Amino acid sequence: MAGKVKWVTDMEKSVLINNFEKRGWVQVTENEDWNFYWMSVQTIRNVFSVETGYRLSDDQIVNHFPNHYELTRKDLMVKNIKRYRKELEKEGSPLAEKDESGKYLYLDFVPITYMLPADYNLFVEEFRKSPSSTWIMKPCGKAQGKGIFLINKLSQIKKWSRDSKTSSFVTQSTKEAYVISLYINNPLLIGGRKFDLRLYVLVSTYRPLRCYMYKLGFCRFCTVKYTPSTSELDNMFVHLTNVAIQKHGEDYNHIHGGKWTVSNLRLYLESTRGKEVTSRLFDEIHWIIVQSLKAVAVNASPSLTSSTANDRILKYNLINDTLNIAVPNGEIPDCKWNKSPPKEVLGNYEILYDEELAQGDGADRELRSRSGQSLGPKASRLRDAGRTVLTTWK
Amino acid sequence: MLQEESDLSLIIAQIVQKLKGSNLYAQLERQAWGSWEKRILKSLNSMCTELSIPLARKRPVGEQKELLNKWNEMGTDEPDLSLFRPVYAPKDFLEVLINLRNPNYENGDSLSFRTHLGLIQVPLKVKDIPELKELFVELGLTTGQLGIDDSTQVPPELFENEHVRIGQKVLTEQDSAAAQQYIRQGSPTALRAELWALILNISSHPEDILYYEQLKTNVIQHDLLVDSLIYKDVKLTASNDDYYFVFEDYLYQVLLCFSRDTSVLSHFAYNSASPPKSYIRGKLGLEEYAVFYPPNGVIPFHGFSMYVAPLCFLYHEPSKLYQIFREMYVRFFFRLHSISSHPSGIVSLCLLFETLLQTYLPQLFYHLREIGAQPLRISFKWMVRAFSGYLATDQLLLLWDRILGYNSLEILAVLAAAVFAFRAVNLMEVTSLAAAEAVLADLSTLKVMPLLQIFLFATVT
Repeated sequence: MAGKVKWVTDMEKSVLINNFEKRGWVQVTENEDWNFYWMSVQTIRNVFSVETGYRLSDDQIVNHFPNHYELTRKDLMVKNIKRYRKELEKEGSPLAEKDESGKYLYLDFVPITYMLPADYNLFVEEFRKSPSSTWIMKPCGKAQGKGIFLINKLSQIKKWSRDSKTSSFVTQSTKEAYVISLYINNPLLIGGRKFDLRLYVLVSTYRPLRCYMYKLGFCRFCTVKYTPSTSELDNMFVHLTNVAIQKHGEDYNHIHGGKWTVSNLRLYLESTRGKEVTSRLFDEIHWIIVQSLKAVAVNASPSLTSSTANDRILKYNLINDTLNIAVPNGEIPDCKWNKSPPKEVLGNYEILYDEELAQGDGADRELRSRSGQSLGPKASRLRDAGRTVLTTWK
Repeated sequence: MLQEESDLSLIIAQIVQKLKGSNLYAQLERQAWGSWEKRILKSLNSMCTELSIPLARKRPVGEQKELLNKWNEMGTDEPDLSLFRPVYAPKDFLEVLINLRNPNYENGDSLSFRTHLGLIQVPLKVKDIPELKELFVELGLTTGQLGIDDSTQVPPELFENEHVRIGQKVLTEQDSAAAQQYIRQGSPTALRAELWALILNISSHPEDILYYEQLKTNVIQHDLLVDSLIYKDVKLTASNDDYYFVFEDYLYQVLLCFSRDTSVLSHFAYNSASPPKSYIRGKLGLEEYAVFYPPNGVIPFHGFSMYVAPLCFLYHEPSKLYQIFREMYVRFFFRLHSISSHPSGIVSLCLLFETLLQTYLPQLFYHLREIGAQPLRISFKWMVRAFSGYLATDQLLLLWDRILGYNSLEILAVLAAAVFAFRAVNLMEVTSLAAAEAVLADLSTLKVMPLLQIFLFATVT
């Protein structure tokens, strides 16, 4: 069958299968010759594992990069960011510039975080500096809000202490790895509620880095009003926005699922806070994403389960646009592909960062085009109004 | 001499006609509103009796404290609302309007009215497209518009940047009249909250905040039956809306206070309706014991909370939000559910809509009528709600910009007709009311300004 892309998937998701079928692609099994395999996380692990893995041939594409788990696990992500920052500092890159108090000017986007149990003592030292602070504990290998809890007393995480009594009965390796971060207890609230952002980013190549952001991301709201009150630290409906958690709350509404589109958010913020602040916010969000990718930090497996009718439509269109970029013109994949796709196929994606374009004019362009988009009036805006503009940079 | 006499008699004749007309309309309005008012009150009273709930009662102290604690999250309250039903829904109101008749029909204001095939049978004067073009001249093809000329394909230097600059100037000079003129071309999102406040003459003085706090105290101390109706309405409409569900709690804070605000009664002076009255228990018919119920004289109907919801995108300080809503209500929204002959009244809007359709899209109009899908039956709910909940929020705000700018609700009827024009091809193929409803069920992707522009300025008349 000349010319038709052969696909396999081990995930029974209609948003995927409908998209493959509408392109007239041919479904095959994984033992046959395939071009495109949309794999579940477990399968990816097998394919790229040292023991059981195999090498992909030049006409095969999968939906995750081999190092993806470097990116999914929270502890590895934190390590990568810390390492990335140190590397930039060593190179003398202007991106790693710090202010008088030692805070990174442009790379301060992760709150203070430690690995447990490894960094327990470091954490305790930090904790004692501000004993009334709240910290959030997240299991390294889990997703969808599972296993997360908040603490404000050292006693609550006793079992991660290296010299805790339990460790003599339990070996280090079975103590589950967690990251603990300073909890941001004054988040932006809308309608008095906490929300987060679910944004879709497609990385088509790492070297050079080419990534796209889907314009139709969304915000997920908690069903309950936010309160920093310590009596509600246990109430996950107040603090965690994941749909998987919120779905079980009493007030969860199945018609809208507690979500807003990112453009709604933008409208609301522009209307209530002004255009400049809002544009800066979105620029900084894009900046964080690009820097994180560079430090290699991306979540492997967004949910393809749809919770509402609107959601299903969104994910179908998302996969559609994704496939148009990843497998242009429905041609058989070729690892030698290296061209940027033309604007028409982007659909609802927009270019977040294209390293080739950026490198055209050197590293200073990278700093000025922080938003990752082609240079325009926005690019010249820098983080803190009080800081001198980077024209002073040598 | 003769010329003067005939001029004079012409003038006199006109005056007589006008007086006659106004008397006629006043009669019409009083009769029609009177019987509708009776119906609503009856419905409210019977609900009251059936459920054995008083129209009003003072809350015990414990309950007052509880409510005060929960003031910012009344949405989490789950009172049993299953036995409450909205006093009326827009479609009930439509039936009343359809049955309005002009008692002096023979003296009819326009001959062409005899050929009117819509549902409204009252010969009010409405504008045609040439007259609408004059009224909405700033929406013309050669004038820049937000909602059209700020799309991503248009470079901002062409219109948007300058328009924003002018808007900022208007705000700095606090010129309300200029703001109203300016906003006809749409408001930049970042300036809208201030511009609307300027046009509506709302400024938050301490006495305004105090007034709101007093209303809040009123809510805490007394429970009204209409409160349950408000809860029910919010739960049924705004809570299920993709955009407005987040603001549920603000809606209670505004609407509960609103129903106790007696200053709203003053709008009845220019509203031909009159506020519903009730009597202290046992004193039925005795005027000294008559009270307005609810205190603001406005009985909420199904969808009422949607008048407030879009405003939550602009104002998050409760007393400001409240003031803006109250002013929008007494200037505009009340006209959408009371019977009057005012050009922005719902009766005129319905007639305007039907006339536009019948005159400029006759084929579509006749087809829909044939299949039992009178267009007004579909568009009525859009107009009563000023399109809130039907359009995307950014589009709705652009539409309401123009309501403020032109100080008229006629644009609602024009938009309704424009929507039908836009979907005409699909509508011509349907063969039932249900199918027509389906074609027009989802307006969330519509861009209102292009639709209005094309309908008014690019259609052959």
